[in-house]
Parts: sequence; structure tokens; C-alpha cells
Amino acid sequence: MSTVMNPLRSLSRATDRQFEDGSALQWALDLWRESAGARSVELFGPAQGEERAERAADGDQADSGSLRHIATSAGEGGGAEPAKIFSLPCGFELRYDGVDADAADDASRLESVALLIASMALLQGSRSQLREQAFQESYRALAMEALYDVGLAIASTLNLEELSQEILLRAVSLLDARRGALYLREADRFQLEGTIGGGAADSIPVDRAQEPDLEVLPGSRHRLASPIEVDGNVRGVIVVGDKESRTGVGPFAPGDERALSLFANQAAIALENARLHRQALEKERLEREMELAAEIQRGLLPSKMPAVGDLEVAGWNRPTRQVGGDYYGSLRLKDGRSVVVVADVTGKGMPAALLVSTLHSGLHLLLDSVEPGEALLGKLNQHIHESTGSNKFITLLMLLVDPTSPEIRFLNAGHNPGLAISPSGEVRRLEPSGLPLGLLPKSGYRLDSLELGSGDLLCIFSDGITECESPAGEEYGEQRLCEFLRQHRSEPLEQIIQALDREVTRFADGEPQYDDQTVVLLRKP
Amino acid sequence: MTESLKLTVDKRDGVAVVYTDGYINNQGGEEIAKVAYDLLDEGYRALLLNLAGTKIVNSIGISILIEIIEKMIEVEGKLAFCNLTPTIDKTFHIMGLAQYTSIFEDETEAVTHLTG
Repeated sequence: MSTVMNPLRSLSRATDRQFEDGSALQWALDLWRESAGARSVELFGPAQGEERAERAADGDQADSGSLRHIATSAGEGGGAEPAKIFSLPCGFELRYDGVDADAADDASRLESVALLIASMALLQGSRSQLREQAFQESYRALAMEALYDVGLAIASTLNLEELSQEILLRAVSLLDARRGALYLREADRFQLEGTIGGGAADSIPVDRAQEPDLEVLPGSRHRLASPIEVDGNVRGVIVVGDKESRTGVGPFAPGDERALSLFANQAAIALENARLHRQALEKERLEREMELAAEIQRGLLPSKMPAVGDLEVAGWNRPTRQVGGDYYGSLRLKDGRSVVVVADVTGKGMPAALLVSTLHSGLHLLLDSVEPGEALLGKLNQHIHESTGSNKFITLLMLLVDPTSPEIRFLNAGHNPGLAISPSGEVRRLEPSGLPLGLLPKSGYRLDSLELGSGDLLCIFSDGITECESPAGEEYGEQRLCEFLRQHRSEPLEQIIQALDREVTRFADGEPQYDDQTVVLLRKP
Repeated sequence: MTESLKLTVDKRDGVAVVYTDGYINNQGGEEIAKVAYDLLDEGYRALLLNLAGTKIVNSIGISILIEIIEKMIEVEGKLAFCNLTPTIDKTFHIMGLAQYTSIFEDETEAVTHLTG
């Protein structure tokens, strides 16, 4: 009892720490119990913040439900059900057993200590609230910082996996989620990119991603998902599960949806940047490969046409892409004869270039062992057919030039007719005698001949010349080519080719052309 | 994939090093607190939390770490952290943990500090 006489003096020795951690309050509660001669005392006070909300959500409307237990003091033999209530200001109360405190001899002193207890509990609650507020303020600052950091990460790296992981980590952490997963779209499903806090479904159908009962995070009770949208297209989805508190897990707050959406927006920017970067890298890789292929193909075409008997000869080629589908060249045989070829492969780009390589190697191998003529072209047709798909073929015009003969012999496998222009301007055409190479497994060809007189100009070319289009959609055509050749037939061959280049370029007038252009000119001196 | 937290403890020269691997959330934080308080009961007054295996911590985990820091201050012990990811390091600074505990880049440096 004597300690009750001057409790403030004893309390004045309590440290700040003892006030803060509740030990001073506990000391005062023990004091009250001993003074009241009670076996046990429990201190209750008004429920705070989340606790009050949780109880309201649980439908706990009873008076006792709106109070929270703060501290207990139990003496020897304590633990009996506290049956009596000593009411204090500000909604605090002491529940105790034993004597009636109001009727006790030292009731006024008990009241003094009880008031002290209520003041200390109130102070402790206020300090706790202030600490919580300070914590929440710092956490809001952290959330802003996290969004800023994610923005920086997006600007500094284009590694899609790293970015996805970073965004998922930040979102799960800042939403206090226990679980999380990030999915990216592949065709009609979202495929799992990363998870936190446990397993997740490997994939989910695109049209079911927003269904609340979809088992994305197995075992989670509460789920929040936000689509990752780029230009209105859903590219993925970020999902978090089970919001944590100190007492367990619960549903996410309305503000969490907004926060997750912000992270999803950041993810969308990251995904788009990474996709564009990947696309650029792929384009660069293809361009490097095309350049390499072009270099290989340039090696197949002659830098300068070799001499063909006593004929003047010149050749020129302009692919519409880095690698093309036109081929030309000449080869001198052991007996002094020459073979001149112009060919056009269906398609352009890499597939066409590969077929050009097949033609080049096949032709050179066959010319080593087979007499140039119908049989050689038949074998070449079979080789091309076996080497390619059914929709690929090659048109080819082959000249066989014998320096001892005034005649030029030729084979035309579905190629546009060559043009022979006489000094008087008369035009003879080297017509096709068989189907393009590779179209059918077996195909027959006819070896035709043409006599070249002095000054006769022979032009073999690909359809990229005659089918060159003007902006009005008109083709350059064989007639214009004949007229051009008539006008220029007596000029040096290289000069004719340069003039033809200018002629078709002028005709195209900037209109993009989609076919390779090849010309070989021969002239009898 | 980051699963729930796994802890291992290495006791040497009066320092208990607690290695974390995984998410420091409510569950993870409670597990760390239990291990830390058990170590205090065993008489260890110098604890090091090596977070090399942790990439993520949430606010509940932070509040539990703050409680552990407060407990260490109360018993006049020493608590330090090491091997924090840049994100967690920033989190500790913004949330004020760095004011009341020591943070080191590596374990050797931290152990030297705790035994010194």
C-alpha cells in the first residue's frame, strides 16, 4: 500500500524507453492490482484503425468488441475471470476480480493510479499511432521511389527477363502481397514469365485472365490482376495474391488496384522497348546475313565478262535487293567454244540467291562432262527440280558460241526471248523451246541456231528490264527495248549498257522496282 | 521463382550470422525474429543478417526487422546487415533502418565491425 502513496515519484524514475515499450504502464497496472487486492486486472481501450475496421467487417458490434486488450496484471493465484469493471476516461476500462474498488478504503488513491494508467495508455497509443504514421509516410516515399527506379531501369536496360523480374519484385513488395506472377502473351495464351512467393499456373487463356476465380496462384485466397497493355493490345498480365498484415492475409485495398496498374503501365513500356530492340537486333542480323549472301553472290557473277570467241561482250546486273534472283555469266570450254547464260530465278532475296547458287554449281559441274545442248539442259532441269520445291523454277537462255562458225546456237528454257538487232534495225527473237528449269521432273528442249553477221547486236536480258514499271504502272516493254537497241546499236557495248541503265531509271522515275535487272550484250565485229 | 524464406545460422567468435534466402515478408520476418530472439536467449549479443539470398522485402518484413533492431538496442546488443541488393539498401535507408543499425557491403567487413 505504501507504494501507492506516491506513485508519481516512482514513475518519475521511469525512462523514456519504459514509457514507450509499455513497461511503465505494466508497472502502474501491477501497482493498481496490488493496491486493489485483486488477483488479476486487465486493461482494455478503444480499438484503433485497422483493428476497428476488421472488427466492423466481422460484424462484431458488441461493446466489448469495440475495445482492444492492452495489458494484463496477474498476481499469485491470478487468472480468475475478471468480473468487475472500473471505468476510465477516453473509453479505457479495468476489468478485475476480488474486492470492489469503488468501495475500498483507498478508493481515491486507486482512482488516481487508474487515471495515470489511462493517461499512459493514451500516450502509448498516440506514440504508436505517430510511429505508424511515420512508417506509412516513409513507405509512401518508398513506393514513389520504386516507380521512379522502375522507370530508370526501363531506360537503362532492354533485357526483357531482367525488367519483368524487377517490375514483379517491386509490385509484390510495395503492395505487401504474399504472392505474385507475371505473364506475357504468346498467341492465345499468357505464358508464365516469373513468380514470387510460390508456384503459379504455367499459362492462362487470354480470354480468362480477368476471371476472379481463375486458379492462377494456387492456394491464394485474394487476387488482384492488371493487364499490361500496349496501344490497346494486351501483351501480358501481372497478378498479385494475398495482401499481408501482421495478423495474416486479406483482400487488397482499392488503392492497390491503382498501384498495380501503374506497375503494369511501366511493364508495358518496358515490354514495348524490349520488343522494338529485339526487332532492331533481328533486322540488323538479317541485314548482315544478306550482305554476306550478296558478297557470295557477287562472287558468282563475273566482274567483267570473259571474251566470247571474236565477239564483243559486256554484262550488267542490278538486284532489287542485296541478293537477287538473276544470274549471268560465260564459260570457255576446253575446245575453245564459249557458253553464255542469262537466267532468272523465281522470287527474290535469300531463297532466290540460294537457287542461283544451285544453278551456278550444277551448270559448271555438268559442263565439265556433258556436251552443251538438249541433254545438258535436261539434266540441269532434273537437278534443279530435285533441289527445290515445286513452286520454284528458273528461266534460262543459254548461248553456245563457236568461234569457227558464223552460227550461234541457243537453248531457251522459258526465258523471255533474246533480241538480235541487225545493222539495218531488223529484230530477230531467240524464242523459248521448252519449260523453265525445275518446273517438271522431265522436260525437253530444242537447240536452235541463229547466224550473226557483222554489226549484229545480240541482247539477252531478264524480264526486270522489260517489266520495269513507270509511276503510271506502264511497263517499259520489249518494243521500247528494241527501239533503244536500234538507236544505240553501234555504240561501244559498255556505253550502251550505261545508257540502258539511265533509260530504265528515267522510265521508272523513282518508282520502286521489284525485279532484278540483267543484260548481256554481244556483237559481231 | 522466389519461394518462402529459408534461414541458416553460422555461429562463430561470439557472432551469429543469419543467412536469409527468399522473401522477407510477414512469415519470413517472423522466422527471422524467432531465430534472432533464440540467439539472444542463447547469449549472443552480436547478430549479422546476411541478405545475399534475398531480393525482396515488404513493409511487414521491414516492421519486424525494426522490432528486432529495437530489441537489440534494448539488450544493448549489436545488429548489422550485409550483402543487400541496391533496392533493399535503398529501402532500408528510406525506411530509417539504416539510422539504427549498421549496413555493410560484405560479410567480412560486418563481422570485423561486430567483433571489434
